[in-house]
Amino acid sequence: MSFVIAPSASSDARPSSSTLSEPLSVLIGALGGEGGGVLTEWLTAIARHAGYAAQSTSIPGVAQRTGATTYFFEVYPVPVVQLGGRQPVFSLNPIPGRLDALVSSELLETARAVSNGLPSPERTLIITSSSRTLTHAERSHLGDGRLDNAALLSIVQSACRANHVLDMQRIARDNGTVVSAVMLGAIAGSGLLPFAKDDHITIVRDSGRGAEASLAGFEAAWQWVHEGRQQAAFAKQLVDDAVAASGPSVLNAFPTGARDLLALGLSRVIDYQDASYGELYLSRMRQVCDAEASVGSGADTDNPDTEQGAITREVARWLALWMAYDDIVRVADLKSRASRSQRVRNEARVADGDVLKTYEYFKPGVPEIAALLPVPLAERLKDMNRQRLAEGRTVWEMPVKLASHTVVGTLLLRLLAAMKHLRRWGSRYAEEQTLIDAWLTAVLEGARQDRALGFEIAQCGRLIKGYGSTNERGRDNLLHVIRHLASPAFGTAAERTEAIRRAREAALADDAGKALDKTLNELGAPPRAIKAQPIRWMPRQRIKTGSAP
Amino acid sequence: MEISFKKEIQQLRLGDGETFHGEGILAITKALLQSGVSYIGGYQGAPVSHLLDVMVQARGLVSELGVHVEACSNEASAAAMLGASIHYPIRGAVTWKSIVGTNVAADALANLSSPGVTGGVLMIIGEDYGEGASVVQERTHAYAMKSTMLLLDPRPELSTMVDMVEHAFAMSEASNMPAMMELRIRACHVRGSFISKHNRAPAVSSLAPLAEPADFDYGRLAHPPATFRHEKLKINERLPAARGYIVKHGLNEQHEGKHDHIGIIIQGGLSNALLRSLQQFGLSDVFAKSDVPLLILNVTYPLVHEQIADFARKKRAVLVIEEGSPDYIEQEIATLLRRRDLQTVLHGKDLLPATGEVTPEVMMRGLLHFFTQHLSDADTRHVQALLEATDTRRTRIAEQLDKALPARPPGFCIGCPERPVFSALKLAQQELGPVHVAADIGCHSFATFEPFSQGHSILGYGMSLASRAGVSPMMARRVISIMGDGGFWHNGLLTGVQSALFNGDDAVLLIFKNGYTSATGTQEIISTPEAETKLLAGDKLASLTASNRTIEDTLAGLGVKWMRTVHSYRVAVMRDVVREALTTDFNGLKVIIAEGECQLERQRRIRPWLVALQARGERVLRVKYGVDDDVCNGDHACMRLSGCPTLTLKDNPDPLKVDPVATVIDGCVGCGLCGENAHAATLCPSFYRAEVIQNPRWYERLIAALRSTVLRVLQPA
Repeated sequence: MSFVIAPSASSDARPSSSTLSEPLSVLIGALGGEGGGVLTEWLTAIARHAGYAAQSTSIPGVAQRTGATTYFFEVYPVPVVQLGGRQPVFSLNPIPGRLDALVSSELLETARAVSNGLPSPERTLIITSSSRTLTHAERSHLGDGRLDNAALLSIVQSACRANHVLDMQRIARDNGTVVSAVMLGAIAGSGLLPFAKDDHITIVRDSGRGAEASLAGFEAAWQWVHEGRQQAAFAKQLVDDAVAASGPSVLNAFPTGARDLLALGLSRVIDYQDASYGELYLSRMRQVCDAEASVGSGADTDNPDTEQGAITREVARWLALWMAYDDIVRVADLKSRASRSQRVRNEARVADGDVLKTYEYFKPGVPEIAALLPVPLAERLKDMNRQRLAEGRTVWEMPVKLASHTVVGTLLLRLLAAMKHLRRWGSRYAEEQTLIDAWLTAVLEGARQDRALGFEIAQCGRLIKGYGSTNERGRDNLLHVIRHLASPAFGTAAERTEAIRRAREAALADDAGKALDKTLNELGAPPRAIKAQPIRWMPRQRIKTGSAP
Repeated sequence: MEISFKKEIQQLRLGDGETFHGEGILAITKALLQSGVSYIGGYQGAPVSHLLDVMVQARGLVSELGVHVEACSNEASAAAMLGASIHYPIRGAVTWKSIVGTNVAADALANLSSPGVTGGVLMIIGEDYGEGASVVQERTHAYAMKSTMLLLDPRPELSTMVDMVEHAFAMSEASNMPAMMELRIRACHVRGSFISKHNRAPAVSSLAPLAEPADFDYGRLAHPPATFRHEKLKINERLPAARGYIVKHGLNEQHEGKHDHIGIIIQGGLSNALLRSLQQFGLSDVFAKSDVPLLILNVTYPLVHEQIADFARKKRAVLVIEEGSPDYIEQEIATLLRRRDLQTVLHGKDLLPATGEVTPEVMMRGLLHFFTQHLSDADTRHVQALLEATDTRRTRIAEQLDKALPARPPGFCIGCPERPVFSALKLAQQELGPVHVAADIGCHSFATFEPFSQGHSILGYGMSLASRAGVSPMMARRVISIMGDGGFWHNGLLTGVQSALFNGDDAVLLIFKNGYTSATGTQEIISTPEAETKLLAGDKLASLTASNRTIEDTLAGLGVKWMRTVHSYRVAVMRDVVREALTTDFNGLKVIIAEGECQLERQRRIRPWLVALQARGERVLRVKYGVDDDVCNGDHACMRLSGCPTLTLKDNPDPLKVDPVATVIDGCVGCGLCGENAHAATLCPSFYRAEVIQNPRWYERLIAALRSTVLRVLQPA
């Protein structure tokens, strides 16, 4: 997307349209606990110090507990001394379209204010942070529920006469202060309000504890906005630059579009198991590639999904991830690497001279152990588990907090990691390979009948991820889709393609599978098999006995 | 307490002619001292918490004046406190959040306003209505009418608010009516200034106590037959006296304007919005010089009928701008116009919406209709354009967004001890099937939002256990009632526990013992850890709530047989205890106490302590949780069990994977929930606990050094 170069500070100054018939109004959007209250306190103090009549208000309430909230500030841009004792009237609420500035510490909240129609393209200067604090709805999605920053930003930029975009969170972090100081700096830098930079500094300096850090944050943001820098980094981050295609020569047989992922996939499975496992990956990929090639170019060429090599590319990704399925061996390996220790040191901000201790939360149960045992043994173990459940007891699991910073802990992890050579004889390996083949066959058949259908089934590889229940759920859903929606019995290729797409998206909507069941029902497909689950009876409340038994 | 008011308390000492700068609610507090109150009480709640908080913190100043400050256990006890002014010529003020607080206080208020008061009585009412409100949308106005109490709704400008406080006391004394002053949330938090007066030490106070009680006077009891006389007094003497005072002192502001064939009658609290709206029409200048005649009602009950009639007389039309429903003021005006056979056209809720805040935008839309009908020479094109532009912008952006932007409701703080309990509750129900959850007022009501979505009903503060009495007998599974310690002491102990025990009910009560009424600003209660305990605590990091056993002792004393105390961060243990409570054969009241100090207060305690340790170069342990992004399975099950603001997402560094991975960002206080959930719910093994020891002891450094040398050999790149 294109980025408007922010206007220079001077052009941020009040447009002539805003005559002196009204005060200047500034709406501040922030999240509870970000110091918006302090910011408004500063602004009123600065106005007083600079000799202007001003008023601010806020609606803290419970929003102070991490919720979204707003603060409102108005100042009459004529010095009090020139008012002859007359008092300007200030509002407690913003008037839509009459805002002079919208300042917000979070991109979604800026967009929210915009969607409420508050700023106007004629009058309002928007100063917004590019940083996002994800809402719960975005975080809890089973796939990727995050909003598109580019879309949010374009909405914001379309709604104002000028804008400044800066990562307020980062500036605050870098200067060891809170976002309110950064917001003040940005406001000052814009030159919108009739205050001198020193007025701000004086007041912030008097604000006691943390004043120095506040001033640093203030200065950084002031520089940024005053020099009218648009956040290039953010712009770049939004531009999606694809990984350049590269890889060993064995990949030359494959369509160029798929090579980057193939290269990654190949190295992944080799790292996961060994070279021969990599060979298995390649042979599987060749089948897919050939099948795709046999169909010839897609029906509509303008749709990238159906371009030559699209199916191969998708399968390359999902097949690699599936073949490198997560098990305790893999986890142990990943958690006992030097690179990993370094990553933890960085994340926990460990300084030289500090001592770091790390504890891993594992809870191996019967499935994890059975996975490494040969099928017959694994089955016996699983039976014992089912027995326990039948008796109303809980399944056997062993919660451990493994001290991976100790020698013993690391030895244990490395020992587990070394068991990757036994993996091949384990029950899970066999199980996974059969499932993989089932999926691949479906993809191949689908691709031969219709490119789009094959592509759709290939994408269902996304349903497979994780461990334990998450992984089981994904598998069951995938198998159900393949069995019922991919089979010609279900309908025409087009119908199946659509059905599979909808089912896949539904499967990612909630972990209870409510959305999937609903969709299957709408599609007229058979419902998912009901899983056996132990039932616990509770004593029906009898006529109360009053006292304890 | 959440906020320190050191600076503000200095402002409360200001004398004659000095300028006070600060928040509305603190200006009101200063006004109380200037009015010579003898006692101040109340119950916290946004937006008036600050009034009581600052008073409690200003004990020094207050005791110098001999003013008694009482942090009441609920609004009923606050209202009852006002009884002191029935017999004695002493002024008193209380505060609470309305409408809920006034509901709780209603019984005492009825019995107070029946005999009436000798000393001036003022209730500062936080009218929590509209945006940011956390209570039922109802009007306090109804209480003023039904109990015949004065209701002030001052223009949201500090000097007016302060004057009105002083008038309220005088008017209360002149009319023997208790007075209420309603302040909307934006008025409470408005920052402005006013010229202060010196504080008045009350004639009767804890420094100058009364030697003798008043003589017995049956006439001052809210008891028949006295009550029959009180009813007559209310109507025949008190209301007229109040109206007389309002007119005499010009409490309602009347502004002439060149368009004198129309007029606007408005609640004082809304008048600023009106003036800013009139500016948009070019009908007022920035200094509130309006071309349209205005009658600004700083006192909204009682209305002065003659004043309104005179204002409306000779006018073609008047517009009444009144917030909320029912439109009591407009109805009363309609009646008084009709009785006087005045033919002035009356507008109000016909042009303005019946519900919601009356913001400048809402007002402008109403005024537009009013002026088109009655002020032909007004130039409304500018406002029309402004409103149309706003509408088009809204629709355009709505179209631009494929779906509505996700809401961002308030939630549990980082490391809140209540979050883990709801994780456990969610897990327990995954095992046992869903149960009916009777929720309550307090931070824990955040659990009604995602990811927990727990709570079938909220019937009021401390009402959860009582609200279950009708449900649980009809339920196959047991019902869980959630209650905070705030709600427990506010009235849950009596309405819930006592009743359940008396009836031998089969009930499950889950009490959050975090030590404070946290949602209202972490005010202290009877079960708050003692100051000494905080001071002497060896391990400052530990929760201190266990040191105060008032709740446990009270329950044991009442005869609770089944009681379990669980540390709230032990998710698996809590899940098991909940399972036990729901399945045990014991049929009486089962109480689970979730022990865990409010994280806001805990951090307030330990932050300075840690800073000091670091400054002295002493050993400091810092805990942060983390996620291995190459192990994270990206299905975000952890999010659906936590909702902690510091547990969020980042792009997947693995180019093969498409879904974002979990990450723990700065701000994590290492509460331990991530690890507990990982175990209790068998989440993916990507979580780790990092313990960073700053200024480690020499042997710790030695061991670490030895370890790293060995690990370097063991660990592949």
